[in-house]
Amino acid sequence: MKRSLVVLFCIFALFSPLFAGGGKESSASDDVTLTVLWFNDANESEVFMDTIQDYLDANPNVKIDLQVIAFGDYEQKLKMMISGGNPPDVARLTTSHVPILAASLEPIDPYLENPEATKAEFMPSMLAFALDKEGQMLAYPTEATANGMIVNLTAWENAGIDVREISKTWTWDEWEEAVKKVIAANEGMKYGLAVDYTIHRFATLLYEFGGSFMNEDQTAFDMVKEENINAINYFKHLHDEGLVPQSVWLGSENPAELFQAGLVACHIGGSWNINTYNTNVKDFEWTVVSTPKGEINSSVPGGKFIGAFKDGKNKEAAMDLMAWFSDKAHNEKYCLDTFNLSSRADAEIEYPTNSAEFAVFQHDLSITPAFTAVEWGNAKVTQLSTFMVEQIVQVLLGNQTAEEACQAIQARSEA
Amino acid sequence: MKKLKKKDERIHVRTKGNFHQTLAPMLFLAPNILIFLLFIIIPLFQGLRMAFMDWGIFTVPEFVGLKNFANLFKDEVFLITIKNTIVYSFFAVVLLTVVSLCLALMLSRNSMKGERVFRAVFYIPSLLSMIAVGIAWRFILGDEMGIVNYVLRSMGGSGVKWLTDGNLAMMCVILVSVWASSGYYMIMFISGLQAIPNELYEAATIDGSSPWNTFWRITLPLLRSTVLVVLVLATIASFKAYELIVTMTKGGPGYATKFIVQQVYQVAFQEDRMGYASAMSIVLMVIIGIFTLVQFKFAGKDGQYD
Repeated sequence: MKRSLVVLFCIFALFSPLFAGGGKESSASDDVTLTVLWFNDANESEVFMDTIQDYLDANPNVKIDLQVIAFGDYEQKLKMMISGGNPPDVARLTTSHVPILAASLEPIDPYLENPEATKAEFMPSMLAFALDKEGQMLAYPTEATANGMIVNLTAWENAGIDVREISKTWTWDEWEEAVKKVIAANEGMKYGLAVDYTIHRFATLLYEFGGSFMNEDQTAFDMVKEENINAINYFKHLHDEGLVPQSVWLGSENPAELFQAGLVACHIGGSWNINTYNTNVKDFEWTVVSTPKGEINSSVPGGKFIGAFKDGKNKEAAMDLMAWFSDKAHNEKYCLDTFNLSSRADAEIEYPTNSAEFAVFQHDLSITPAFTAVEWGNAKVTQLSTFMVEQIVQVLLGNQTAEEACQAIQARSEA
Repeated sequence: MKKLKKKDERIHVRTKGNFHQTLAPMLFLAPNILIFLLFIIIPLFQGLRMAFMDWGIFTVPEFVGLKNFANLFKDEVFLITIKNTIVYSFFAVVLLTVVSLCLALMLSRNSMKGERVFRAVFYIPSLLSMIAVGIAWRFILGDEMGIVNYVLRSMGGSGVKWLTDGNLAMMCVILVSVWASSGYYMIMFISGLQAIPNELYEAATIDGSSPWNTFWRITLPLLRSTVLVVLVLATIASFKAYELIVTMTKGGPGYATKFIVQQVYQVAFQEDRMGYASAMSIVLMVIIGIFTLVQFKFAGKDGQYD
């Protein structure tokens, strides 16, 4: 009997921690551990910790539990945490996360002395992503991003073309003519353009051709229209002409790697590529130019945000940290060290290099139609992003027409 | 000899008040039962319930009856992913079984120099994360940046569309799966082979049986239970293939290598249609169940599973 009691005691001792309560231990003092969920494009988590170091020094009772998750798993992890009632205290968010998670994000306005003054500190296009239907701020915009065209400057110079000059007014037809000369003039260069395998980057082309995902009043999907069909057909034409490598949209090769290897003359990427290319490109010079004009000139606005959650356990402390991190001085430091565009209207950042490249992205953003930001603030666009990519790939493979692709996307949006 | 009757086989033990034979085993099993209940049984029933709901992750579930299941069979992409999964599973399981059995036959007799080294070499890929395997093979087989095409081009060739041609991409995914997992099943076959008494082989040799005949008449029949386990495990694993495919081809080109699990993930976590994705999962479970039962029926006749 004694032995049985010992066995029972051991089993109890072994499993008692499981039932001892899932939350963190809280001492009698005001010690707070803030769980921060983060993903990296480059070195953002490192810079984030560096940027908030003075906050931690000033608030020794606050500790940060930084959890860096691969971007591919990030959304699922975040959703599971929220639906499980155990969200992080603070999370880094993209433009697509904010609308999807809007119902779970804690509005920031009640924590601010003067909400309108705080909102006015941010670029209107970035703020638009962060507002709920009542106009309350759900997250602080941290970085602004823009899609654009990055070019292999050395290759264009080898072809005797002043790409900075011609890009001021070029159209897609003129780009096509010029890029063929660039390919011909550079041994080892095989393609004219690599476009990231995402609907967000394809949207650059879509908007340039006058297209859009939604209807004019942004109330419903409206995919079946001539402009969208033209954009998809033009993308197919670029593939069929061999100007765009098939291995990106049909295979799974990374367009940034193709650009870095000197295989493509241009890359439709985004402002976040500046940091990567600064580090990785050593064999040639590169720069950013305006994307050729279709019906209009357009970029695709985007950005990153930080937000807290309604079910968060340390909302006050989370709001305090986010406000600190988002003020002018800290935001400037963070954007400078991560080589990102600031989302603050009052930011004055002197980048040590690539000021010209940042200026082009800023310019492209400034001429981008406002509706594009609203579209990307719609959860449906994000939810259907993979399906839309798949439909475009079916067109590239010749399995359906561009019109059929648009109809399929429209039908899915209504399902 | 007296034949044992059914009732003679029963073992009568005094159970009342015997802690060691009643409560103690249950207590030791309790953690496992609890984990099984929490992570398998409850989610299974939860999934089954959700399959009849219209449910987004942050919305209130709404009962829709069989609508999700009805829509599944009108969903072209889902039907394509089922077809792809079955094609992939068939070839992957057959190749895995044959290759791992061949490897085990070569490396189980202690007759070759460096046998243990070879076993380790063939086993190592199965220890790797499928994500790492997928990324590594993407670098090897990539059209433009891949090592294989680089070598082919440097020898004057034009490169092969390993991952941008649908059929080739499927073939590559199957072969890489076999490469990555055959070491694991090889070990199972080796343990099965080593359990076969040597006397049987000696007797066969004395009787003048050829190696081919010995394999078919002695080795394979006595390995049947191991073959069955390998078939069942490999089938279940192949139906659940996800990481390797997503990292290697992202399911492409187009839908050429897109399998059910990837579609379930996309519908659930990107399109936020949890109920519909649950219905897909239930269909996947039923398909795996049917295949497993068929394998048990054909490979495990007479109940000889062990």
